[in-house]
Amino acid sequence: MQLGGTNEYSWIINIAFFAFIMLFSLYGAKFQMWQWLKQIEMGLSEMKRMFVESRQTAIDTFKDYGKSEEDIAKDLDRWMDYFTIMPVDLDPAGILKRLDHLLDERRDRFQEFVADLAPESNVSINQNLENTLEVTQVLGLIYRVVRHFYILGKKTGSQIMIMQIQMQMPDLLRLAKAYYDALGAFSEGKPIGDGIGPLVVTKFARSYGATPESYIQEISREVGYYVVESEGRTVYALRATGPGGTVGKPGFGVKKLVEQNKNKIARIITIDAALKFEGEELGRVSEGTGAAIGDPGPEKHAIEQTATEHGIGIEAIVVKEDEAAAVGIMDKKILDAIPEVLERIKESIVKRTKPGDSIILAGIGNTIGIGL
Amino acid sequence: MGIVSKILGLALAGMGFVVLFYGMSTTDALSFLWSFMGLIIMSLGFALITGGKQAEKKPPPPTVTEIRCSSCDFKEIRDFKKGDYVLMPVEETCPKCQSSMTIEGVYIVREEPEVKYNV
Repeated sequence: MQLGGTNEYSWIINIAFFAFIMLFSLYGAKFQMWQWLKQIEMGLSEMKRMFVESRQTAIDTFKDYGKSEEDIAKDLDRWMDYFTIMPVDLDPAGILKRLDHLLDERRDRFQEFVADLAPESNVSINQNLENTLEVTQVLGLIYRVVRHFYILGKKTGSQIMIMQIQMQMPDLLRLAKAYYDALGAFSEGKPIGDGIGPLVVTKFARSYGATPESYIQEISREVGYYVVESEGRTVYALRATGPGGTVGKPGFGVKKLVEQNKNKIARIITIDAALKFEGEELGRVSEGTGAAIGDPGPEKHAIEQTATEHGIGIEAIVVKEDEAAAVGIMDKKILDAIPEVLERIKESIVKRTKPGDSIILAGIGNTIGIGL
Repeated sequence: MGIVSKILGLALAGMGFVVLFYGMSTTDALSFLWSFMGLIIMSLGFALITGGKQAEKKPPPPTVTEIRCSSCDFKEIRDFKKGDYVLMPVEETCPKCQSSMTIEGVYIVREEPEVKYNV
């Protein structure tokens, strides 16, 4: 007998062939769902591992500051569910003010919680502990959200729900891994890629004679500035305090500086880390117009609003990074971008302002591991 | 999955190919069984060829602290110590000119294989 020929056994092949067609046309989607669910399960177990390990790292970090492991674990688990309800946007008038108020409240609660959990630490370490806590919380949130949709999809048999999670899984895992890898930086107080803005500002100020003592504290929450003379202009070099991990409220700092120096500020330059496109080089320097600040809204609004009201030119210089580099320990390539950023700042000052003008140079980012 | 398994996989794939074609060309009553067996042997062979060992997880690169002299070009790179931060003045003085030294960088150097995309 040859395949395709007819003989006394060919009916077996015919039946097998039709059974195969029927099986896959009726249950093909089920097979695919099963395959997707298995892939989600694998991703979920990886996310769970990252969350559990980061929780343990957080406990180990906190226990150096005065409380027992059991107490920390209990309080930490309670804190993992902490949420912030975004303000109602059906009536958008004043939403940024309300959002800013909520973010302040949230920050107060975080600080209160960390102070309770680490009674023997200081302000700078508390800021790092806050960051450690936030990373653990993010990992817990990613895991719980994915698990929610996995279980819901399985319960309802919703193909679209399962398909969406399966398709987003590589991206979610990449995000979770970036935060998981960053935990070491936060718990040990190492500088992260996002800190390039404050670092550039301090290097700029120091090159014109600024010192940690000349830093003027608290123009806005956890933000201060140096005043330096550069190329015949007065530069207010603003950044969050350090070396504890905080981003502060630099947008409101800029606003306050403009109000304090009415009609004197000629330009606002913001320095920040920006997400790079795939294919772009890590540490590439780019510049553009606008306020480079990645907050939920109030800070950026404060800068834009004040610049518009006073007719101040506003520009941004950014260092391109991927998510892993932005939240992970600072990469050498990012550090190597500093001379070029400083060069561009000087070029901007000389080209776009006149001697005697005042300029605000705002370094935006997390100041963990970056001294004044 | 070393070179031995790759050779074994290649041999199995070749054997499966022969069995498959034998089944397709013979007039034997169980030719379809031969063909089916050939396919299975071939797929086993290909699985051995394509199956690679899981990429070993590399330990993260060490974090280093770069210390520079404020007066001369002296530079020292050492392992990160807890408490180090960028722009922190260090207690030791420069061995070349006895000036003060500052931590100029705390960083890692990622060794990532350069994947080139021709686009």
